[in-house]
Amino acid sequence: MGTTASQLGKDMLSEYQELTFLTKQEILLAHKRFTELLTKDEKDLPNTRVQMERILTLPELKSNPFRKRICNVFSTSEYKDGGLTFEDFLDLLSAFSDSATLEIKSHYAFRIFDFDDDGTLDCGDLEKLVNCLTGETDDTRLTPEEMRQLINNILEESDIDKDGTVNLSEFQHVISRSPDFVSSFKIVL
Amino acid sequence: MSSEPQRPGSREVLDYTEEYGYHSDQHSLRLRRGPSRVSNQNPPQFDWSSPHEEEDEESSSGPPRDLRATPLPMALKRAIRQVQQMQVPVVSSRDSWKRKKAKSLRKLKDCGMGFLSFFSLWNKTLQKIGGNFGGGVQSYFLFLRFLVVLNFVSFLLIAGFVLVPSIVFRSVGAALVNSTGHGACMVYDPNPEGLVVFYNYFLDLLSGTGFMEYSYLFYGYYNNTMVEDKNFSYNIPLAYLFTAVFYFVFCLICIIARMGTAARVVVATGSSTVGDYSMIVFTSWDYGCLGDRATKLKQKNIHYQLQVDLEEESIKKRAAALTLSQKIVLYSLRVSMCLVSFGLIIAAFYGIFAATEFSQVKSGQGGILGLFFEYLPSIVITAGNFVVPLLCDQIALIERYSPSTTVIVALLRSVFLRLVSLGVLLFTLWRQITCEGAENTGECKLCQYNHALYPCWETRVGQEMYKLTLFDFLINIAVLFLVEFPRRMVVDNWSNKLAQWVGRQEFVVPANVLGLVYGQTVVWTGALFCPLLPLINTLKFILLFYFMKITLFHNCRPALKTFRSTTSTFFFLVVLLFGLGLGTVVMIYSLSEIRPSMSCGPFRFFPSMWSIVPTSFNNLSIVTQEFLFFIGSQSFSIPLFALSCVVMCYFVALASVYGKSVALLRAQIKLEGRDKQFLVKQIEMLSGRQQILKQTAGASS
Repeated sequence: MGTTASQLGKDMLSEYQELTFLTKQEILLAHKRFTELLTKDEKDLPNTRVQMERILTLPELKSNPFRKRICNVFSTSEYKDGGLTFEDFLDLLSAFSDSATLEIKSHYAFRIFDFDDDGTLDCGDLEKLVNCLTGETDDTRLTPEEMRQLINNILEESDIDKDGTVNLSEFQHVISRSPDFVSSFKIVL
Repeated sequence: MSSEPQRPGSREVLDYTEEYGYHSDQHSLRLRRGPSRVSNQNPPQFDWSSPHEEEDEESSSGPPRDLRATPLPMALKRAIRQVQQMQVPVVSSRDSWKRKKAKSLRKLKDCGMGFLSFFSLWNKTLQKIGGNFGGGVQSYFLFLRFLVVLNFVSFLLIAGFVLVPSIVFRSVGAALVNSTGHGACMVYDPNPEGLVVFYNYFLDLLSGTGFMEYSYLFYGYYNNTMVEDKNFSYNIPLAYLFTAVFYFVFCLICIIARMGTAARVVVATGSSTVGDYSMIVFTSWDYGCLGDRATKLKQKNIHYQLQVDLEEESIKKRAAALTLSQKIVLYSLRVSMCLVSFGLIIAAFYGIFAATEFSQVKSGQGGILGLFFEYLPSIVITAGNFVVPLLCDQIALIERYSPSTTVIVALLRSVFLRLVSLGVLLFTLWRQITCEGAENTGECKLCQYNHALYPCWETRVGQEMYKLTLFDFLINIAVLFLVEFPRRMVVDNWSNKLAQWVGRQEFVVPANVLGLVYGQTVVWTGALFCPLLPLINTLKFILLFYFMKITLFHNCRPALKTFRSTTSTFFFLVVLLFGLGLGTVVMIYSLSEIRPSMSCGPFRFFPSMWSIVPTSFNNLSIVTQEFLFFIGSQSFSIPLFALSCVVMCYFVALASVYGKSVALLRAQIKLEGRDKQFLVKQIEMLSGRQQILKQTAGASS
């Protein structure tokens, strides 16, 4: 699987087109941008894994508050260090592409928001999520009372089975009612 | 194996891939056991590759699922694909043909979408705008792009059916109907004789008079020609009429089609009052935001939105606790403010009315002063459109509605003002053309319209609309250069408190959208009398796009108050429909009620514009006539009406069934949650008993 060779093989290209939501041009552009991140020696190795720090230099991810979570979610590394191979990168772009379905976007959004990776969004996850959304500086953080009120409101609205956490189906139920989600959950190179 | 206690301190990921067929909520049941142990330092990691097992059983029997839509890493997807390809499914040749068809259709669709996206205008720019300024501002530019395309396609329509045949058949064709008599009505001399001072050309360009008046731009130039050949006949007046009618129908269809997608979403999301906080927190982050500045801005936006919503909630709680006397005071305040705003709007109307009358009286003067009088109605309308919404905004603040209601109320008032001010202008014109409705008195006795003042009244109306369009555009540009750029320079270079308090210009979406709707309504009103107006409007909107983009990126800071983009698109289109309605009313009235000018235009000698249809109708073959009569008769329209009622009832029933099943499923989820909690308690109780049994057994042995 020499996907980091300087040219993508035609059969690899058609396979990627079948397995992701990306068009041919998008896959080629992704390949170009990915190989720009590699050092000279890494370019010859097949299937290199690029460390998270280098992935985060991409302008599309650089200032995203969820950048580390995104890398961790799509990474297939056994050390859980957030490093991405080219195929992980394509998976990332496919989930964030224009033509990806609502189901797959909401699935990955849920995983990105699940900071402790336990399969549900509990109060700690929600608090970290709100802090990422509003910024970590002191003047943009919500006060503790506001945070408490907000988390209570969120759980009241979306926790249908009243177990104190938001699971995947409850999350998808909220997402399905939002008209803007599909267009805002998009990263295009 | 899975029920063994986890080794303390281990960092093992609980692997559930071997447990086929378990549902994901059972996983979370087991997980709930995990964290209760004190020894477990790390909460177990949830393995997301397992949930696909339940769907895997379906895939062996049904058609292969779209692998792209499975949330798995690429290696697993590839493995599944290989398994699927190795499985030789026992399918009939018909099924495999169907599958191949579906696959090639999908490939074709992908190709088609790629091709279309190549053609869509300004995609990259819109993405950049959305990333930096948010969805609300982007929706304004999307709306502008929609209007550009609509105007351009309508221009092609008009050019194809009216303009080109007129040019081609100008010398060839013969006049349809000739008439003698009423000599005074047929006097029309648009081209003044003698030398014309050179700057008059510029003034003529701005006001549509002089060399521009007798040209393809206005109604008056088109002729009453009909070409008949052996196999080919073309009736220009009929073409003109049908093109105008079809233009309105086409615009209506386009707007409704575009509203369809937005409306579907608005209806599906249902009442947006419930679920606002979770919606904001889960869906409001825009992953297309590029750069630190845009990200910080977006974060500030979200923070502001959350704070405002939390504050609104506490305000609502306080408002519900108002005493009766406080409520009376509040409502009386609201009613009086409403009356004040109505009074302002009526004062603006009277101003426009007076200005139009004055301008008509003083028309014919030359030079700069003459130009000023020509443009007086437009000036007054623009001034009113500028001042009154400002005052309405302040009034809305006094009324102390909730913030979202304030925006909607102010917007509706502005819409009312703008569209009806245009209506007042048209009303004054009508009064003068038809001598205040009494067509058989005074000046109108001879020709049924005021031929002394308006030898060719359609061209005059067309000129007014042309002037409005042009003036609107010039004002926009002037505000850009004379207000926004200097404001930015002052704020950036002069750091004192006043400048900082004024701050950079904010891009206010609703006001700008109203400007677009107003411009488009003017075009619709004038299209019958000035066929090239859609083309002029296309150029105007294209230039406006670029100018607005420049001012957005250089002068503006993003609005702190976010504007929900999808519901607002729907609202823009509804307002656009109001404008279309006004244009349709004008068109229908001019077609049927007012007598066309006898000295110019394609409907010269007809009693009304619509009367050409019955005249040409008699030239059709008998079969066609009978067919058309049948379609218009009751024996066709009543069954058609009944059928459409039945279809509508079916859809209403379907919609209510879907709504009921959504409610049912929600209740089912609640019940399953309670079952789950019960089972968790049972498991904990049983495992507690098991622990006690073990301890007593260990103690006794």
